Amino acid sequence: MIADNLVVERGVSAGDAWITIDPANIRAALSALKDGGYRLLVFLTCVDHLAEASGSRPARYELVYELRDMETREHIRVRAYIDGDPPRADSVHDLFPPANWEERETYDMFGVVFTGHPDLTRILMPDDWVGYPLRRDYPVGGEVVEFSEEHEIWQTAPEKA
Amino acid sequence: MSTPQGVTISRTGETGAFGGELLSVNFGPHHPSTHGVLRLIVDLDGEQVRSVKPVIGYLHTGIEKQMEALRWQQGVVVTDRHDYLSPPINNLAYALAVEKLLGIDVPPRAQALRVIMSELTRLSSHLVWMGTSGLELGAMSMLMYCFRERDTILDMNEEISGFRMHTSYIRPGGVFADATARFLEMLDAFVRAMPGHVDEYEDLLTMNPIWRSRTIGIGRLSPEDAKVLGATGPMLRGSGVAWDLRTAIPYSGYENYDFEVATSDLCDCYGRYLVRIKEMREAVKILRQALDRLPDGPVNVDDRKILPPPREELETSMEAVIHHFKLFTEGYSVPPGDVYVAVESGRGENGCYVVSDGTHKPRRVKFRSASFVNLQALERMALNHMVADMIAIIGTADTVLGDVDR
Repeated sequence: MIADNLVVERGVSAGDAWITIDPANIRAALSALKDGGYRLLVFLTCVDHLAEASGSRPARYELVYELRDMETREHIRVRAYIDGDPPRADSVHDLFPPANWEERETYDMFGVVFTGHPDLTRILMPDDWVGYPLRRDYPVGGEVVEFSEEHEIWQTAPEKA
Repeated sequence: MSTPQGVTISRTGETGAFGGELLSVNFGPHHPSTHGVLRLIVDLDGEQVRSVKPVIGYLHTGIEKQMEALRWQQGVVVTDRHDYLSPPINNLAYALAVEKLLGIDVPPRAQALRVIMSELTRLSSHLVWMGTSGLELGAMSMLMYCFRERDTILDMNEEISGFRMHTSYIRPGGVFADATARFLEMLDAFVRAMPGHVDEYEDLLTMNPIWRSRTIGIGRLSPEDAKVLGATGPMLRGSGVAWDLRTAIPYSGYENYDFEVATSDLCDCYGRYLVRIKEMREAVKILRQALDRLPDGPVNVDDRKILPPPREELETSMEAVIHHFKLFTEGYSVPPGDVYVAVESGRGENGCYVVSDGTHKPRRVKFRSASFVNLQALERMALNHMVADMIAIIGTADTVLGDVDR
């Protein structure tokens, strides 16, 4: 189904089968899996391993693709570790159409840039938002609440705003 | 501020098929028929839709970020609130994921109560959908009839959990409390009355000429498109694909119940309506079976590390006091690893992907929401339809914007 030379590591977590692949092979591995029957991308997301980035994990950001074979009802989870500023990965929106919005969301929340995506813009946060909220170094409550005491525009006199 | 690409690109001025100009129209975010705050940018050629670009995020509340700051047992309260029409089903996805990581199984009575709450929620979610969709498409009285039965379900929620909407009833390790005798009486009366009520809804809608002309042939989604676009739930089954997680990948003992997967080959808005009607009848069947075969026994795992000891033990046992203190100050730790569990909500596959680093808080919780994925099929369904049909199409897609934006 998937060539062994693409798989870096494989295992089972709480009953779910997973493989790790080299981030350069994301498109090759996912299209091989798609040809092998895993036609549905259930979800795509990212996990930020900030604390373990230099230790037990190969890189800070872990991309997670969950695929399902609708006939055999089997799942497989594909991981790829990426690093860099911004972290980059290849887009798979043409292989799996649901990935279009999921990649936009991952970009919005983690700042992962998907090369080849047709419209990589923020999807949930406002277009002028600064920062990537689901990164582990982004504080909860770090944003200014509109119309609160701290809000800059609220404190600016109307003629200067 | 830079011009957001793909959102405000207007095709106004291009020539359309009828020789006129295309016109970009903003639809929402506060249009009363968008079921929340959905904004669409629609390119119109006369009255025909040439492209639809959903703009979402108006209900984004950062639920996934909040989950990382909460202990495992506190997260349940947050899961209630993303798909606000089906809280117990969201609880169930999270609870099953945490239980799978912990490697525990809940007792049979808890499983049956979870099934009962899931099916009641499915009914109430479909009732809200039918009432509001009827209201939008000219069947004004539907809302009254549907909300009458929904209120009975909310009364039952209140009886069993103390809350009418955000129940937090299903939690890792079991459920909040055992069903009371009064709850079982209410459920029995409800299950007896509900098939007659579903007949009433069908009398009002199934052969209603206005309803039929607004929905038949509108919003076609072929089975191939539905599969490729990742649609789940009534969107997929309304296109004739018999895929239901309750039978495909059973959870919480659904394999022990006898029910059919509702499908329709019509592939249009009317087909999705028929699927939901059938699902309501099947949900009543499941409720009947669950009520008749409700096993006796505990409703929580017997593990003091995960659930607090009973109140009366606290006065006599030092160990119980220690467990209670540890649980409410630190919480419990979950073994490292990651897991994905999917359940079938009224809208499709609502899943929960949980990553644990072995501490008392999750490292990452991702909600796979059916509405978010189903909404991507909107453009495929609405293309070349009249702008007025968009109301029917958005309605039968049944997206909950809290679930889309999380």
